[in-house]
Amino acid sequence: MKPGNLSVLIALALSLGACTSTTVDEYRENNTRLTLNNAERVVVLGRRHEGKYETEPDFIDCIGDKLGSAATVGVLPEQTFIDALYPWFEPRTAPLTLNRLQAMMNDPLLAERIRSQGIRYMIWVDGSTETTDQEGSLACGVGPGGGGCFGYATWDKNANYEAIIWDVDTFNENGRVKVDARGTSYLFALGAPIPIIAQVKSEACDGIGRQLRSFFIPENTPTTR
Amino acid sequence: MLPAPIRSLVVLAIVVLSGCATEVVVEGSFPPALMRPLPASATLVFEQPFREYIFRNEGTREVSIAVGATQMDLFATIARSMFQETATLHQLPPSATTDLIIMPVVEEVQVAMPSDTQLNIFEVWIKYNIRVFAGSGQPLADWIMPAYGKTPTRFLKSDAEALNQAAIVALRDAGANLVTGFARVPEIRDWLATRPSPTAAPLERAP
Repeated sequence: MKPGNLSVLIALALSLGACTSTTVDEYRENNTRLTLNNAERVVVLGRRHEGKYETEPDFIDCIGDKLGSAATVGVLPEQTFIDALYPWFEPRTAPLTLNRLQAMMNDPLLAERIRSQGIRYMIWVDGSTETTDQEGSLACGVGPGGGGCFGYATWDKNANYEAIIWDVDTFNENGRVKVDARGTSYLFALGAPIPIIAQVKSEACDGIGRQLRSFFIPENTPTTR
Repeated sequence: MLPAPIRSLVVLAIVVLSGCATEVVVEGSFPPALMRPLPASATLVFEQPFREYIFRNEGTREVSIAVGATQMDLFATIARSMFQETATLHQLPPSATTDLIIMPVVEEVQVAMPSDTQLNIFEVWIKYNIRVFAGSGQPLADWIMPAYGKTPTRFLKSDAEALNQAAIVALRDAGANLVTGFARVPEIRDWLATRPSPTAAPLERAP
């Protein structure tokens, strides 16, 4: 068998294993759907006060996109909100509890700025995606005649996030969504490397985004994009 | 087409150069601070070591981070929000026409990369010494102000981009620390207590 054909066969075989398992749990304060009027919006914010990891900004953007795909949910980009409220939502100063947010909103300057942004709900997301295990080895080389790689590598990724919804008007917690996604990726190389990547983070984003949407709109509502 | 030995050298040069030092000139901008200005004016003094500060790590991996211009921008932006009037100088004057003279000095910078810590984050620490004088030139307060920033590793993002982002986060943290901590420094708090009531001051400068 030619090496090219062998690579294709192995890639096909491995692609069956490059899947992600996702578990989503949710807790709701009550069964009432959250509502937004035309002037109100949601902001999705990442927790960044922990030392050992950082909730990734691209993951926050991804959740914002999933939520914003519902025509009835307006989403303010995270950085726009943080800049407008600088320096009160930096890792050092961001409120970790509703009591702290309420104390901050007692300052008319902050309250007015948050209202002027149209923010009704804050969704705080905490967590990260980490590589938990890896094995195998891969060697690459280049020479006058060209280059190539040989070997096999595999790694596991675990995405673990929790989102908490705060109502800025009533200072209540409306619900929580937890997502745990795991997947194994493979890289096989016999000349050209063939990556078979488990989309752990995007599956986690999809799971948490879909669940958060269900707080605002009924299931199976068509999206705008 | 280049001859094979030259192609080999070109490939070798690319490989060697890509493994060389990481040099970052920190670039970014900062929003104005959302706060009521203090009832005072201030002159900011940025001396040459501050204006041209470059952190260099000569360890196992060479890293240099030039923060001078960007940290000047940060302190100037924050001061415009914190005080009713501001001015800047490049040398500490014997006295000034403003109520306060503020001179930030970089004491130390530290950097940690994922290869050092086995964590998927780039980290930057900056230790500032904030020296404050009355307009007459009399020393008023002097304290250490730490700042910390981190950013996660991202697929296809270079170390230089990640370090730039971590440095910007650290500078924003310095701004947050200055805004929230300045009036709590005992000497500054006592000095401010002698000033006219802040209620007379305009509420805010819009961003």
